Amino acid sequence: MTRSPLHDLHVRLGARFVDFGGWEMPVQYESVLEEHRAVRQGVGVFDVSHLGRLEVTGPNSTEILRNLFTNDVAKYEPGRTHYTMLLNDDGGIVDDIVVWRWDEDHYWVMPNAANADRVRATLEDRGAHVVDLRPSTCLLAVQGPAAPRLIEETFGQAPARFRTLEVDGVRMAGTGYTGERGGEVCLPIEAAGPVLEELLEAGAVPCGLGARDTLRLEAGLALWGSDIDETTTPLEAGLDFAVDWDHDFPGKTALECQRQTGPSRRLTGLVMEGRGIPRHGYAVRSGSSVGEVTSGNISPARDTGIALAYLSPPVAVGEPAEVEIRGRWVPARVASPPFHR
Amino acid sequence: MNVPEHLRYTEEHEWVEVLDDGQVRVGITDYAQDQLGDVVYVELPEPGTEFEKGAMVAEVESTKSVAEVYAPLTGTVTAVNSQLVDSPDLVNRDPYGEGWFVTMTPSDGFDPEQLLDAAAYTRLIE
Repeated sequence: MTRSPLHDLHVRLGARFVDFGGWEMPVQYESVLEEHRAVRQGVGVFDVSHLGRLEVTGPNSTEILRNLFTNDVAKYEPGRTHYTMLLNDDGGIVDDIVVWRWDEDHYWVMPNAANADRVRATLEDRGAHVVDLRPSTCLLAVQGPAAPRLIEETFGQAPARFRTLEVDGVRMAGTGYTGERGGEVCLPIEAAGPVLEELLEAGAVPCGLGARDTLRLEAGLALWGSDIDETTTPLEAGLDFAVDWDHDFPGKTALECQRQTGPSRRLTGLVMEGRGIPRHGYAVRSGSSVGEVTSGNISPARDTGIALAYLSPPVAVGEPAEVEIRGRWVPARVASPPFHR
Repeated sequence: MNVPEHLRYTEEHEWVEVLDDGQVRVGITDYAQDQLGDVVYVELPEPGTEFEKGAMVAEVESTKSVAEVYAPLTGTVTAVNSQLVDSPDLVNRDPYGEGWFVTMTPSDGFDPEQLLDAAAYTRLIE
């Protein structure tokens, strides 16, 4: 199991840890719900050093990434970030990825922790020059309505939404996984501890992967390994906003085929109308449609259970549904995330 | 972890307090609430229901998982802590006080000595 370079600091802060993608990372400090609320109302900071950070350089970088990912990197000029996917030949999602473009042929490719080695191997197979930044850096996610100001106070400037920014060797972007403003900040390992302590001193609440999960679920953001994987396609998961049909990529033929007929199932938001928390694997029904919860938890904003579930055939927003919670069918309603606004 | 001396315990992390009138009050331990994390729902039984020792008497849902609470003894539920419906976080904040789950009238032959004392329970969770 790999540990964050900030592990000892997390221990001192009272963190509990969880295995995530082969990394032992903080899951919570004091309370998942308090950390969740801190990010919705103020600012929280997450150590997300487990996330993949692959630096891709070289004169053929743009062509290689363009031919590999669903989104067209060439359409996002330097200084912008975008969401994209790597698919298998069946159109299944091998990984969902955020790309930070620094220059014409200078990218950071950010895969999920568990998929970083596989994405790296795929890039190298295509001839890309790849450097794994994880051994030399930490990544902190500073998230919440007060996050842009805190980033600006700490680093002198803050990145705009979906834009990259470099200040004195610190590289950051206006990205995240919580549905809030803020950014992700990449720091040399030796600088990361003092910066994290400075952020906490300035009022940021240390947050773990527990709150990160309730925040992303409330925002309706899919989690690879739970809501999406190699057996689900971008069309089924509602991620086709990140598919550019005007260029070629692995899985495009299968995906076009599914686009013609329409996917037989769709990843759907559910809000519970009865008591109980829907959890991964619970059965769902709505009219003649059936399916399964892929992610579920409490929505602190609504104080009720929420879920993402595949329903086959797809069901319209507003329709009634039921989730089987340990033998009881509990009423729910099909809803369109985000759930917290 | 707080393990009050005057209570009895089960290996499934329930606590039992024998009240002056012979009834017992039941809840989950500080250790149990700590393991569960933030409690967001508690499902309580109907007063008047009889439970065999070891039967599921309540359910606790947290942001992390769902756990069952078992009857630490055979008996009839006389009251439930309905405050937990709207304030499930009482289980986290005050597990041995306002976070209690049910009171029960034990059936004949209940002997609190059959449950773990504080020292034995402390050894269990260490």
